[in-house]
Amino acid sequence: MFPIVLLSVFAVVLLFLGFLKSRSVLLPATLLFLVAALVANFLDWNKTYLYFNSMLRTDNLSMVFTAIVLLSSFLVVALSGSFEDDEAAQPAEYYAIILFSLVGAIMMIGYENLVMLFVGVEILSVAMYILTGSDKRNLRSNEAALKYFLMGAFATGIMLFGMALLYGASGSFTLAGIASYASHAQQGLSLIFYVGLLMLLVGLLFKVSAAPFHFWTPDVYDGAPTIFTAYMSTVVKTAGFAALLHLLAASFTYVYSFWGIILAVVTAITLIAGNVTAVYQNSFKRMMAYSSISHAGYLLIGLAALSAQSRQAIVFYSLAYSIATISAFGVLMLVTRQRGMQTLSSNPLSNESFDAFNGLAKQNPLLGLAMATSMLSLAGIPLTAGFWGKFYMFSTAVERGQIWLLVVAVLMSAVGIYYYFRVIIAMYFRDGATEPIRISPVFRYVLVAAIILTIGLGVAPGLLQGLF
Amino acid sequence: MTEFLAFFKTLTPTGYLFLLLTALTVISAMGVVTARNPIYSVLALIATFFCLSGHYILLNAQFLAAVNIIVYAGAIMVLFLFTIMFLNLRREDEEAKTNLTKIASVIVGGTLMVMLIMIFRAKSSQLPVGSTVGFEPNTGMVENLGHLLYGSYILPFELASVLFLIAMVGAVMLGKREAGDRHF
Repeated sequence: MFPIVLLSVFAVVLLFLGFLKSRSVLLPATLLFLVAALVANFLDWNKTYLYFNSMLRTDNLSMVFTAIVLLSSFLVVALSGSFEDDEAAQPAEYYAIILFSLVGAIMMIGYENLVMLFVGVEILSVAMYILTGSDKRNLRSNEAALKYFLMGAFATGIMLFGMALLYGASGSFTLAGIASYASHAQQGLSLIFYVGLLMLLVGLLFKVSAAPFHFWTPDVYDGAPTIFTAYMSTVVKTAGFAALLHLLAASFTYVYSFWGIILAVVTAITLIAGNVTAVYQNSFKRMMAYSSISHAGYLLIGLAALSAQSRQAIVFYSLAYSIATISAFGVLMLVTRQRGMQTLSSNPLSNESFDAFNGLAKQNPLLGLAMATSMLSLAGIPLTAGFWGKFYMFSTAVERGQIWLLVVAVLMSAVGIYYYFRVIIAMYFRDGATEPIRISPVFRYVLVAAIILTIGLGVAPGLLQGLF
Repeated sequence: MTEFLAFFKTLTPTGYLFLLLTALTVISAMGVVTARNPIYSVLALIATFFCLSGHYILLNAQFLAAVNIIVYAGAIMVLFLFTIMFLNLRREDEEAKTNLTKIASVIVGGTLMVMLIMIFRAKSSQLPVGSTVGFEPNTGMVENLGHLLYGSYILPFELASVLFLIAMVGAVMLGKREAGDRHF
């Protein structure tokens, strides 16, 4: 509750700070606001509260998810570098929209009422449509924003229809009310209950880009400015999975036999579609888009199994994935900018291809190390956080006895190693004319922090255990 | 047929009104997607919204009906018409759909329709049946709605303002004229 109030106020303050002549105050102010929200988030630690007639819940799980979301956005904002190299950028508005969208993300994490879930999803989605199209003069950005908006609005419509049907069946918008209706599953539930659940799931799965609903992801992630792609692929995904986890665990455990198998099939399709298509990409950014689809698949394993370990597994995985993704996109931003200055070509496509990384590690050891760590973590190699994330996910599937799903997931992680290592090979073993890239201190700190977190969680995964 | 006639005779005036409105809604909704001229399409959409408002009134939700007309049929439709006039669509701009697209969409839509009909026929006994017994006639009134919105739903109601603020900031940000932009 505290972060929601603070972030709403801070975002309005940021809009007013935009009137100042100097842009340099915006970045430190935003970082400060995010730290303040992070501190306020932990004020209720070890207590469970229900706010405003059971609209919003804070417990340790929701606080941990909120912390992950705030930490990811802190790293992303730090990497944005105040948009100093872009004259047309409007950093005050960008930062304000990011802070506002975090309000939506926290609503999606802590909702106890479907109305709260809907408003939260809408706040986050509308902010993302705007940020996707924020590069106004870039045609690809415009196209991405329009595609995202049209398909996202459609998905929201389906989700809302699902909520209405659930209300029609159970007579309640609260998760507890729906759960008490679903507990009569033996006596037979109304048909529209199942249809509503299915439509609600479809809407939420679209938002986290799970497989039959993933077609918007590559174009949107590719067309959006890289900094906002990093934000979208981490914060939106974490919030979406927190929402799905809470929805299924709190309300629909009684009808697991209905949605468990559907979700397992969706998981398998997501894993296969994401990983296999990523192999064929030539652009690093597009590869990362497909990789984010495949990671949605790994996160879905924990949901499809929904065992006692699922909460911990999803928390750990989303943290590991967020850190690795943000540092990978950070390196990509530096490389793309450097290429753009060298070749003076305005075609961003060639600057984002795998070839742009040739010989990077020789001249820029830090960038090479940061990229290599995050690629290893995303591929799930031991001694990185990603390995333990995958390990926990797979063990939930074992617990539920979904061995076929486990086989698919292991095979697909092997496919994943192939395309993640393409970057590492390009950086370390190929020759390329790369000059040393000037790295600003903030970038350096963020990349070093990401390396330390990834390896630290990989060596000692127990650090997070026992927190909630 | 006789069954249908017997059913027809049992209807109250409200029932006739409901059937009439439903038929109008479906017809005008079909008009939205089949009209070739976008202006006709938008006009059919307005008709659909008015019919839906009629349904709301039949359901005793007068406030919702009024808001539906003001917001959808009024504000949003005017916006649509403006956009269409600005875009200045002509007949020759129309993109011809390939046969493959048509066949695919017919298959998808047809499958959905068959599925819905099958489900309805198989499970129509399971559908919830409405009843007017114990119905509170003041449910849809503004006063009760206000009590709900400012009572138990105060938090989402207030946080919806964040949504509108984002939309406003975004609209201004994206719509602001930059140096070098074309002047109309």
